[in-house]
Amino acid sequence: MSHESTTATAGATRTEDAPAPVPNYQPHLILSGHRKSISSVKFSPDGNLLASAGALFGTRLTGDIVQTLSGHSEGISDIAWSAHSDYIASASDDKTVRIWSLDILRGHTNFVFCVNYNPRSNLLVSGGFDETVRVWDVARGKSLKVLPAHSDPVTAVSFSHDGTLIVSCAMDGLIRIWDADSGQCLKTLVDDDNPVCSHVLFSPNSKYVLASTQDSTIRLWNYQTSRCVKTYTGHTNATYSLVAAFSTTGGQYIVSGSEDARIYIWDLQSRRVVQTLEGHKGGQCTAHPTRKLIASASMEKDLTIRLWLWSDE
Amino acid sequence: MNTSLLNPFNIIYPTAVQASLPSQCSLARFDRSGRFVVAGRSDGSAAIWDLETRSSVRWLEGHVKGITSVDWSRNSRFVLTSSKDWNVIVWDLASDIDPPQRKTTIRFDAPASSASFHPRNSQIILALLQSGDAYLVDLRKKHRGRVELEEVQDDSDDESGASPRSAMTVAQFDPTGRHIFVGTSTGSVLVFNTRTKTMVARHKIAGAGVMKGLDFAKSGRRLVTNSSDRTLRQFTLPTYSPPNADREYMEQELEPTHKFSDPINRIAWHAMSFSPDGEWLAGGAADPASHKIYIWDIANDGQLASTLDGGREPLLYVHWHPSKPSIVSTTNHGNILIWHCPAPERWGAFAGGFEEVDENVEYEEREDEFDIEDENVLAERKMKQEEEEVDVLTGKDAEEEVVDHPRVNGDEDDFAWADDEPDEDTREWKMKIMMEDESDMI
Repeated sequence: MSHESTTATAGATRTEDAPAPVPNYQPHLILSGHRKSISSVKFSPDGNLLASAGALFGTRLTGDIVQTLSGHSEGISDIAWSAHSDYIASASDDKTVRIWSLDILRGHTNFVFCVNYNPRSNLLVSGGFDETVRVWDVARGKSLKVLPAHSDPVTAVSFSHDGTLIVSCAMDGLIRIWDADSGQCLKTLVDDDNPVCSHVLFSPNSKYVLASTQDSTIRLWNYQTSRCVKTYTGHTNATYSLVAAFSTTGGQYIVSGSEDARIYIWDLQSRRVVQTLEGHKGGQCTAHPTRKLIASASMEKDLTIRLWLWSDE
Repeated sequence: MNTSLLNPFNIIYPTAVQASLPSQCSLARFDRSGRFVVAGRSDGSAAIWDLETRSSVRWLEGHVKGITSVDWSRNSRFVLTSSKDWNVIVWDLASDIDPPQRKTTIRFDAPASSASFHPRNSQIILALLQSGDAYLVDLRKKHRGRVELEEVQDDSDDESGASPRSAMTVAQFDPTGRHIFVGTSTGSVLVFNTRTKTMVARHKIAGAGVMKGLDFAKSGRRLVTNSSDRTLRQFTLPTYSPPNADREYMEQELEPTHKFSDPINRIAWHAMSFSPDGEWLAGGAADPASHKIYIWDIANDGQLASTLDGGREPLLYVHWHPSKPSIVSTTNHGNILIWHCPAPERWGAFAGGFEEVDENVEYEEREDEFDIEDENVLAERKMKQEEEEVDVLTGKDAEEEVVDHPRVNGDEDDFAWADDEPDEDTREWKMKIMMEDESDMI
C-alpha cells in the first residue's frame, strides 16, 4: 500500500515536459459469483468496497463477496454510492429505485435505467425508460421533482461536484444540463450526427462533461461554450450503454469498456490509446478513487469482475 | 457552479414566496452556505431545515424556555442557541444521532437574550443577557475564561460616580470578528476590541432611543441599526486604531448616511438584513396585521425599491441568503417563508445550438459559410483544435473562496489571536443522512 501511494504522488507532480507515464495495468483479481450479466460496477468513495449490480464485493481484502443484495424482481441497470460509502442506490427494470437496505422509491412508470447521489447524499437523481429524470429526497423516500427531460429513454444522470447542476443524456442523442435547485433546463448539447448517447458524467471539477455515444466515440464537452474539446475513438460501442470514467490516480486518463472484449485507456490530453486490457469480455469498468486500480465487469458469458492493478515493473 | 449558466439579468432581490415551512418557530437564519436554515421556537426547541429537500433534518431539544437567538459557525458544523432558560448551547451537527450531541452548555445567571459565534473561531462566544450585561466566553484551553464587557465612563462623571450604567440591549461581532459592537438603552453604540476586551470607541446616535438591532454589510465597513424611534440608520464606520495601554477610546458622534423609515404608518422594524453584495437592505415591518418586507436600494441613494407582501401572518424575523437573492422570514403563526426570485423558463435551452433573442437580428452570412470543405482538412483542423490542454481537475473550490477582509495595521495580532487553537469546524465535515422509518413510507 505504501509503495503504491508514493508512486501515485510522483505521477501527480510530474512536470509539463516529462512524457506522460504509460499505464501498465496487470490482472490483479478475478471476482466471480454473478449468475447473470453485470450491468454496472462502482467503487465506494472511500475505496474499500466495490459494488456490482447485484452483489457487493470487498476489494481491500481478498475480493470476497461481502454481501449480496437481493430484492429487485427484475434486472438492475445501475448502482450508485452515497458520499459516505454507507448506502447504495440501485435502478431496476422493476420500475423502482432501492436504497440498500432501506428504501424503495416508487414513481417511475417504466424501467429505471440510471441513478446517482448528489455530493451531500441527501438527494438522488434517477432516469429511466419513462423519459423523465426524477429527483428524490433520500431521507423520506419521496419524489421532489419530475423533469420531463427527454423524448427517449434516459440513459444516464449525474450531479456536478457541488450539487448545483444535473447532467442527463438519452437515446435521443441529447445531453441536457439542469439547474438542480429550480429544475430548469440550462443547456442542451448535441452533436451533428445525433448518435444515441449512452453515458454522461461531469469531470472532477465539473467544468466539462464526458459523454459516450453509440457511434464508438467518447467526447469531452465544454458545456459553457457548447464545444466538443476532445474526442476519443478506437473502441467499439454500438449496442450497449457503456460507461466511460476519469482515472486520475496514476496520471490523467479516460477508461472505457468496449464491445470488442477489451478495456481501453486513453491519455486525457493527447487522446491516444495508451493501453488496452485484454483477457475477458469486458463491458463496464470503473476506476478506483485513490489507488491505481481499475475494475471491469463482463457483459456476457464469463460473468466475472476483474481487478487490474498498475504494476511498476 | 450553476451561476455561470444562469441568466445574469435577473432581478437581484427576491420577489415571491417560494415555499412555506410549518415550523412553529419565531426566528430563522440561513447558514453560511445557504443550504440550511435553523429555526428557533418559543417552546425551547429548534429545528434544522434542509432547503434542498425542504424538510427538517434535525431537532435540537435542550432548552426549557423560548429560544431568543440562533447562530451558525463558519462551516455550519456548530449551531448556537440562546434561551430564556439562562442557557446557551452549542450543538454539534456532525454527531450521528438526532437530537445532535451538545458540544457545550454555558450557563448564565440571567436569561440570555442573544449569543453569537466569533466569525473565525466558534470557541469564542459573545453572549448578551437580559440584565443588560454582555460577556465574551472563551472555550479554548489556553484562553479559557468569561469576561464581562464594560463600558468606560467619562472622566467627568468620576466625581458623582452615581450616573447609572446604561444597559446593553444588542451585541454582535463585526464580520471580521476584530470588534464587538454593542448597542445600549441610551442610544449609543460601543465598540470593543475582541482580543483585549477593552472599549475602543463610543458612538452617540442622536435621537435613536433604545438600540434594538445591528447588522453589518459583508465587508464590515457599513453598519445598520434599528432603534426604538422606528428608524433604521446606515452608517459608514471609521477605522478603529488598535487598543493602546492607556485605554483611550474614540468618542465620536456618527452621522447616518441613510435613514429608512415608513413615513406614513410610522411602523417599527422587527429585523433587517443586508443583501450579500451590500447593495440592498431588507427591513421586516412590525405591522400587526400583515407580513411586509421593505427592500431599499442602497446603491441608488437608499430609495425604496419594493415592498414584499407575504400575506396576513405578521412578520417576526428577516434574514437574507448569504449568496443568492433569497430571504427567509418568519411569521407569528410559526411558518418560515422562503422568498426567491422566480427565473423565467428559457425554452431555448432545450434546443442545442439555439439561442433566444429579444429582438430580430439581421443575420449576415459569412463568405465561406456554405462552402464545401475537404473532409480531411476539416478533420485535421478538428484534431488541431483538440490539441489544446484541458483542465478537468482544478478549480473545484474557486467559488467558495474565503472572504478575506482588507488588513489594517495592527490587525495581525487580532487575527492571530482568534485563529489560535482552531475549532473542529472544517469544511470537510459531513452531516449524516437520517433515514426515516420504512413503516411510514409505503
